Amino acid sequence: MSAPRNRQPFDIGRAAYLAVNGLMLFFLLVPIAIVLVFALNPTPYISFPPVGVSLRWFQKFFAGADFMNALTLSLWVAACVLVLSVLIGGACALALARGHLPGRAFLTAFFMSPLMLPAILTGLALFQAYLLAGIGRPVWGLIMAHTLVAVPYVIRTTLAVLHNFDRRIEEAAAVLGAGPVRVFFEVTLPLIRPGVFAGGVFAFIVSFDQFPVSLFLVVPKGETLPVVLFNYMKFDLDGAIAAASMVSILLALSVVLVLERLIGLKAYVKL
Amino acid sequence: MTKTFDGRVVAVDGVTLDIAAGEFFSLLGPSGCGKTTSLRMIAGFERPDSGRIHVGGRDITDVAVHKRDMGMVFQSYALFPHRTVAENVAFGLRMREIAKSEIERRVKAALAQVALTGLETRKPSQLSGGQQQRVALARALVVEPPVLLCDEPLGALDRKLRQQMQFELKELQRRLGVTLVFVTHDQEEALAMSDRIAVMNHGRVEQVGAPTEIYERPRTRFVADFIGEINILEEGGRARALRPEKIRLVADGARVSGTVETANFLGGSTLLRVRSGDGRSFLVRETHAGERASRRPGDVVGLAWSDSDAVLLEG
Repeated sequence: MSAPRNRQPFDIGRAAYLAVNGLMLFFLLVPIAIVLVFALNPTPYISFPPVGVSLRWFQKFFAGADFMNALTLSLWVAACVLVLSVLIGGACALALARGHLPGRAFLTAFFMSPLMLPAILTGLALFQAYLLAGIGRPVWGLIMAHTLVAVPYVIRTTLAVLHNFDRRIEEAAAVLGAGPVRVFFEVTLPLIRPGVFAGGVFAFIVSFDQFPVSLFLVVPKGETLPVVLFNYMKFDLDGAIAAASMVSILLALSVVLVLERLIGLKAYVKL
Repeated sequence: MTKTFDGRVVAVDGVTLDIAAGEFFSLLGPSGCGKTTSLRMIAGFERPDSGRIHVGGRDITDVAVHKRDMGMVFQSYALFPHRTVAENVAFGLRMREIAKSEIERRVKAALAQVALTGLETRKPSQLSGGQQQRVALARALVVEPPVLLCDEPLGALDRKLRQQMQFELKELQRRLGVTLVFVTHDQEEALAMSDRIAVMNHGRVEQVGAPTEIYERPRTRFVADFIGEINILEEGGRARALRPEKIRLVADGARVSGTVETANFLGGSTLLRVRSGDGRSFLVRETHAGERASRRPGDVVGLAWSDSDAVLLEG
């Protein structure tokens, strides 16, 4: 390709590339490292430098009934959101890419619009809409709200896969005797699944992390983890918050890793 | 049959083809001539606006793609990337709900037929272009379709491999007796493989005939020009087509004399461009049966040909 590296003079492009990547990693990882330091620091308030290493904040987090209820609710909601947005987003993307719909560009923009709107507005609007409709603030309402915000991610990743889809593969299946339903389940679905699931991962995380929308739609004693953490922080600023954050990060990371292992996301999805 | 897209572009305009059973039939033409659209109508992916399609006396115009019982090989091969070679080949048999042991036996035989034994568990992405091509062929042939449709199946292969596959495909077609409809823009490929060729242009069939007929007796200027090299002679408002190899270089009795402008050595022959005294340009093929090319740019040569070799063109 190019000349041997040891003979290359100082390459400003390469230096810039390394610098930008280094900075990005720094800004991504250092805050997490700091949270970890706080989570392990036994002082009764968040302080720096740390004085030692202890698991007392993790203990407090896992022993707290409020925390555990919220964590369970958050995981449950996020799982429902994952399933719902995969089904809805996948179907939407297929319709948008394949449906020969009139005003397709408008429809795409419309389905993506929850991404454009500040989540706090979405939350407020849904809160008022639920109030007017008289349905209160049930858990399924919260799940619907999260799904609304999460669906665009699934649409986006599925459309990306569909965009690169060679339709001749479906035609080949049809010539070989597969009717439309079999073509869909034997060829289309297996080939778009990585894109749909990649969107599902985003959907899970969007829901699990969701604060502004949840803020309006949870009821006392039925709060999701981010809301509980926010309320907790208003009165106590101790290491339990940091420990809870670490647990959240690890949970989100393990969902991504498990799905990556199962379906090999990175091989398919270009965003 | 006729096919219009968007109500404006006429892709295929009143094409009538009568293809015999067991025939190797090529649709040849430049891109956009309607050959692929014609093939896709036979396969059932497009519906003709008018006209009917019959196979073996049965009208299949309104039959869905998956019930037409045809084989098809695509230029991009269109293998199922998530399935192994064996699963790809088995697909059509599975759709026909054939017993598992029977499927295994036929997949094995089909892979042997295209010399792919041992690659059953590979994924298409782990195969070379030529191997993928063979998988596509095996997948189409394993269901023993009476008709095999090929959309530029060799277009993605390099020259050497393409020539080899031409021989193999032709041999396979003859052995199986399958009716093969072959779409290509490569005139050499069409001439080498086909029993008959339909030359298409602007959605119409210009000429149908055996390769020798198409080459030696082109009916229209387009056909003459599209297939091989040609001299078009204008005489009294009529056009005649004269192949470069039909022109002899003579010392006496020349119809035209001129100067050699360029001499392109092609291996088996040399193609000369000769400029005549009245400014016309001639292509002359000098074959090297005995000695090597003798003419060089600047040489003055006499050209002669017999009247029967200058084919009168329509229009």
